[in-house]
Amino acid sequence: MDWKAIANAPWLWFCGFVQAAIGVGQAWYFLRLATRLLERHGGYKQKDIWAIVRGALITAFGPIMAEIFVMMALIIAISPAYAWQREGVGVGSVFTELVQVSNAAIGVGQEFGQPSFNIVGFAAAMVVVNVSCIGWSLGAALFTPYLGKARDKLSRGDPRLLAVITVSSTLGIFGYYAASEIKKGGGRPTAVIAGALLSMFLFKLADWLKVPRLKEWALGIAMFGGMYIAHLLGS
Amino acid sequence: MAPNEGFVDLPEEPFEKEYLAPVHRVGFWTCIAISVAMFLPALLLYLLYGVFAPWAGILAGMGLALTYAVPFFFIEPISYYPIYGDAGNYMSMTTGNVSNLRLPCAAVAQAVAGVPEGTRKGAVIACIGIAVSVIAGVIGVFFGSLAGGWITAQFPKWLTDAFKVYLLPAVWGAVFGQFALRGPMYAIPALIIAGIPLVLGWKAYFIIPIAVFGTVLVAYAMYKWFKIAPKAG
Repeated sequence: MDWKAIANAPWLWFCGFVQAAIGVGQAWYFLRLATRLLERHGGYKQKDIWAIVRGALITAFGPIMAEIFVMMALIIAISPAYAWQREGVGVGSVFTELVQVSNAAIGVGQEFGQPSFNIVGFAAAMVVVNVSCIGWSLGAALFTPYLGKARDKLSRGDPRLLAVITVSSTLGIFGYYAASEIKKGGGRPTAVIAGALLSMFLFKLADWLKVPRLKEWALGIAMFGGMYIAHLLGS
Repeated sequence: MAPNEGFVDLPEEPFEKEYLAPVHRVGFWTCIAISVAMFLPALLLYLLYGVFAPWAGILAGMGLALTYAVPFFFIEPISYYPIYGDAGNYMSMTTGNVSNLRLPCAAVAQAVAGVPEGTRKGAVIACIGIAVSVIAGVIGVFFGSLAGGWITAQFPKWLTDAFKVYLLPAVWGAVFGQFALRGPMYAIPALIIAGIPLVLGWKAYFIIPIAVFGTVLVAYAMYKWFKIAPKAG
């Protein structure tokens, strides 16, 4: 049997559904806990919660669409069932997946994307790609309670110092991602700068106009705006 | 932002008992469950088709894969935790796509609610943003897997190309811009601290901790010596 047919058979769709059930079940439970706590002890009403949900949905739209576009590489290279199993619920971006499948193939003396890649390469990928991402989930299971304690120790109960750490670490992470895109050149620096300026402008505008709902749309508009401006100026 | 004068955080006791305790309980078991589920594909492939790769090949491939992944097992949760809190960490380390999807959704949820990150309320609101992104993401990826080819074929080529090349840089820029408003004094140091090792061609798993902890150190020095902290409100 052709390995690509096996890679799109119901068993792999089933594995994806099992993972999705765990991920969605976890998210749904946390969502219920969080909304209940805010309603009982935070003075939040249904409409306040809906505004938060709406903002997250609008923001999620762009990255999810981008994921679907890039996922086509996995669908073409392996199978739709594989894309679902790995990208539905599972740590590893599409790019990471392609790197890890290539690593698995090298392990069994094959080259991913070449005719030499066969069912043995696929079987190696099934083990290597899935098992190598367990470090994230096991790490979360075992060490999450200690992350908060470590942060509290660092800030020594000073809320201003906590804000210093949180804001600067966020800028540190996104500074890295932004700088790495700027280094790649082409239209990417334009996308970074346009995205940043649009987002700053929209968040400020929401405050100036006293229209908090604009913040729900700010990141979503900035993402698409940055992308479109880069397309216009970058190509 | 530092909690402003009008900001009232959630009381500690219900936060710990009604939220954090069940978050840790369910987070622990769901993370164990997803870890176990990761063995299912290889197991089913063997049971249904009798196919299993040679152990030597698996070990060699695993060695390469772990060289790539292990540094991120540590760096990512430590770096992202201050923004998304405990529930956010369990969800993000179960579902992936953290920097491009979970963090922006957490950040926008906090902005919409006008709540400072790093507080109890901030963590609960980030949890809502991330949970929504998980549910929407699973639905989107499912339909994308089923009909992705057809969906993408409906878009003009320039749009497909723009999504592939420019959307992610725009996401990084947009979130960076949002937080640059909170701490404008950290924006340039953050870019310089990440930019120098990038120009030197260092590996990402060295640069990310340098970028995060380097920026935090600069920020700490500003606070300690000059009392400079992010703006309130």
